[in-house]
Amino acid sequence: MDLVLHSVGGLSLDFSTLPQQLVNGLVVGAIYALIALGYTMVYGVLRLINFAHGEVFMLGAYTALLSSWVMGFTPDAISKAFKADQPLTSSPLNLVIMLLVAMAVCAIIGAIIEFFAYRPMRNQSRIAALITAIGVSLFLQYAGQLFLPANPPPSISQEVNPYQKVVSFVLSPAQMNAAGDVIKPQMDITVTVGKIVMLVTVVILMLALTYLVRYTKAGRAMRAASHDFDSASLMGINVNRVVTFTFMLGSALAGAGAMMLATFEGTAMHPFFGLQPGVKAFVAAVLGGIGNIPGAVLGGLLMGLAETLVTWIGFSQYKDAVAFVILILILLVRPGGLLGSNKVEKV
Amino acid sequence: MSLSKILGTRALSVVLAIAFCFGLDAFVTGQLNEYVVRLVMLAGLYVTLSVSLNLINGITGQFSIGHAAFYMVGAYSAGIVSNAIYKTQPLAAPAYMIISMLIGAVFAAIAGLIVGMPSLRLKGDYLAIVTLGFGEIIRIIVLNQNQWGGSYGYAIAPKYQAGWLIWLLAIICIATCRNLLKSAHGLAFLAVREDEIAAQAMGVNVTKTKVVAFIVGAAFAGAAGALFGHMESFVNPDLFKMEVSFLVLTMVVLGGSGSITGSVLAGATLFILPELPRIVSFKMSLGLLLSVLLGIGVLVWMNRKFLEKYHEPDKVKRTLVVAGANIGLVVLAIVVGKLLNNVPVFGTTNYDANKIRYMILAVVLLVIMLLKPTGLLGHHEFSWDWVKRVLNRNKTGEASA
Amino acid sequence: MPLLCLKDATIKFGGLTAVNKVCFDIEKGDLFGLIGPNGAGKTTCFNLITGVYEPTSGDIDFLGTRICGMAPNKIAEIGICRTFQNIRLFGTLSALENVMVGAYLRHKTSLLGGFMLTPAVIKETAELRKKAMELLSVVNLTDVANSRACDLSYGKQRRLEIARAMATDPKLILLDEPAAGMNPYEKDELRSVVFKIRDDYEKTVLLIEHDMKFVMGLCEKIVVLDHGEEIAYGDPSEIRNNPKVIEAYLGEPV
Ligand SMILES: Nc1ncnc2c1ncn2[C@@H]1O[C@H](COP(=O)(O)OP(=O)(O)OP(=O)(O)O)[C@@H](O)[C@H]1O
Ligand SMILES: [Mg+2]
Repeated sequence: MDLVLHSVGGLSLDFSTLPQQLVNGLVVGAIYALIALGYTMVYGVLRLINFAHGEVFMLGAYTALLSSWVMGFTPDAISKAFKADQPLTSSPLNLVIMLLVAMAVCAIIGAIIEFFAYRPMRNQSRIAALITAIGVSLFLQYAGQLFLPANPPPSISQEVNPYQKVVSFVLSPAQMNAAGDVIKPQMDITVTVGKIVMLVTVVILMLALTYLVRYTKAGRAMRAASHDFDSASLMGINVNRVVTFTFMLGSALAGAGAMMLATFEGTAMHPFFGLQPGVKAFVAAVLGGIGNIPGAVLGGLLMGLAETLVTWIGFSQYKDAVAFVILILILLVRPGGLLGSNKVEKV
Repeated sequence: MSLSKILGTRALSVVLAIAFCFGLDAFVTGQLNEYVVRLVMLAGLYVTLSVSLNLINGITGQFSIGHAAFYMVGAYSAGIVSNAIYKTQPLAAPAYMIISMLIGAVFAAIAGLIVGMPSLRLKGDYLAIVTLGFGEIIRIIVLNQNQWGGSYGYAIAPKYQAGWLIWLLAIICIATCRNLLKSAHGLAFLAVREDEIAAQAMGVNVTKTKVVAFIVGAAFAGAAGALFGHMESFVNPDLFKMEVSFLVLTMVVLGGSGSITGSVLAGATLFILPELPRIVSFKMSLGLLLSVLLGIGVLVWMNRKFLEKYHEPDKVKRTLVVAGANIGLVVLAIVVGKLLNNVPVFGTTNYDANKIRYMILAVVLLVIMLLKPTGLLGHHEFSWDWVKRVLNRNKTGEASA
Repeated sequence: MPLLCLKDATIKFGGLTAVNKVCFDIEKGDLFGLIGPNGAGKTTCFNLITGVYEPTSGDIDFLGTRICGMAPNKIAEIGICRTFQNIRLFGTLSALENVMVGAYLRHKTSLLGGFMLTPAVIKETAELRKKAMELLSVVNLTDVANSRACDLSYGKQRRLEIARAMATDPKLILLDEPAAGMNPYEKDELRSVVFKIRDDYEKTVLLIEHDMKFVMGLCEKIVVLDHGEEIAYGDPSEIRNNPKVIEAYLGEPV
């Protein structure tokens, strides 16, 4: 006898877990948004779908892992310390270092990819550039399979993450009848402190990005280039530098997202780790209107929420398809995405 | 050209095609070992896939990157229908295969129609991502159908490995696209690729053209899928992942998008990449791998920096120099790699070829894109006129020398 | 019955009324000019007539049938074809093939036949090629028939656009700034081409042009637009002396 399970059209929905799912969706969505920003900025400037962005993300996660090893949190050290009954714990400083290293390394990788693979393709057809991007992506995946540890999939050890502590927010307490049976379970939201840290970090990064794009010279140059690449270069803007900057910025955000996903969510790492989040973040960027920065954030959040809602309804196995279904539906109604402009080609 | 000459040529090509398929069946597939036969069949399937994608991508200019979905729809639909009716129908397996092929084609064509619809509203990258999305949706749906084996896979009866039929399909696919390009109707497709608005202003029915391209392209992929399903007699959704779409797309672009000849050549050769580790089971050491990768980097750099600017009126000499420089570099890279293997740091790790197959694909892709972004053949087609011209030129060259 | 008839044709892009209540009739055999300063809405008028945009209000009739809302290819089919101000040739196709695309509109064989390359299709393709060659010679482009359209010079591209539009066998042909970027010699050549189209091929011509000398010497009737509004209509001498037109062009000798 469970009164909370409502049956809607043959589905049983447990509303007591809905708030929890929404929060989970928000967290995943925040990461998607972070990755989506990289897609959107690059597309804005170069009109190129940077398929390799997901792989930059993957490399960011590995970088975070390696930097934690360098700081002494190797699996060996951890198990030794555990046996000696003196478990290792990390300080926030360790985490900040991991985050910064991941961001920096990703930024460099992004710039390298741009220089070697995309720059030579700049005057070629869009399809040639896209194929190159697919090539870079495949290359990084399979090179990663050769060179990166993946068996068994390492994830950043729990010891590194001191924020496993759980906080609960009770929304409505459990109700019992006279006999003491629960007629309505407690409705609450349980999150780890890590997830809260993650959300806060994402917000900080986005504010920083907004500042960078809006108020700095580099940001202005970037906006000019995304408005009209050729005119911008004629106006004396060093577009090569703008493009490098854009790639570095986007890749750094992906690195941050990767570090947090691997550390706080404990997602297992493998060389194809970037594929799913990458594709979904790209869909998020298109959903919001590719080239549009607020659109990417909106798209990412929607994507995260939609996914968890689908899981909540009971179709978790279709979770990965839902991104595309939403995308197709939205594009058919608004071909430019939610916040993108529906430009009509002037004839 | 007179009518009788046209009909004569036509009859000759049909006879040649039939003779080719018959010869394949009678003399080749019987003699070779099972695995090589499999390769011959896969080559045929990939030729069909790349030529049919070329119709959509290269000829009509609709940026579709989810071709594996049509392949999959063909394989599953033909398999499902065959499992249901094959035992109770009167035809022998070879004859039945044609029906199966048609079933696959029809279902894939329906999928093509559905995927083609967005192309009426969406362009370029947006369309690309939607086609990719459709592919993923179809795959995930099948993945979750327990009656079709889900992720485990689906057994298809009868098992039927018909190299001749696969190549017949490939030839029909090539002929269809080639015919189209030779007729004025083909110009409508090309016009849509070049400029939709102008094409429409000239009276081309853009909607119809795009949808037809998607339907026909998908139908051929579906027919290939049907034959693939019966050839393997067991399929699972993993065989139709994004990588397969990318491989086919790579074939189209590397061959030169818009060039059917290019698609055929690329399809018949590149399909080998994912199969490579089964053919040559070599181990690759870190040193060799690194030096080959480095060598490729130098190769791209050398070509772009020097060879592109190397002007030499004598084409033959130029080709020889360019090819010599490239081959020399590759050999050098291998030699350096072998030497590096003696250095303990590099020589220690061995890599399974199985793991580097898609990396090879990626490297091939990147190198060709960086050196020749329009693909190997650009928009050019093979034709007998061209062969004659080249032969004549060589002759006059010799005469003057 | 006029061939083409605009009745209060209006189109708004957001807040901007690009064409505002424009009315004019074109009779069969006219050589009709549409002029006005930059941004007056001339090209937009063409886009309305050829179905690229649908008017926000008002009507456009061709041979008595309403053509608003018709697909551009349908409009081409009933006999209106155009050239583009910002040249829109099929770049990688040859000049000949470009014209053949225009001629393809009047094809009779089925697409299925095209996939099978039936003898009928081969024959038809050869006919289209012949027709296209003929039109190329009208615009003096026979020598570049096999060059890629994007490799041609600007003036040749403009003439190729005309040949391509002619190939659709229109009753009314719309030329958007056909003389733009041409030198005086090319302009003379163009003038004779336009006359040939009208007199030998018996087409009705509506053209946009900024070169006043060219328009005045060519057109028999002229409509002047300014800021989307129709400010004058008449023959060249009337237009030349119309104060509103002079004001619109702000002192430019008309
Ligand atoms: N698709 C569109 N969306 C928004 N505004 C448009 C669109 N097409 C045209 N306009 C605007 O309508 C006005 C008229 O443009 P139009 O191209 O018709 O001018 P024109 O008379 O052809 O000028 P020109 O002589 O420079 O070619 C311009 O202000 C233009 O910016
Ligand atoms: Mg104009």
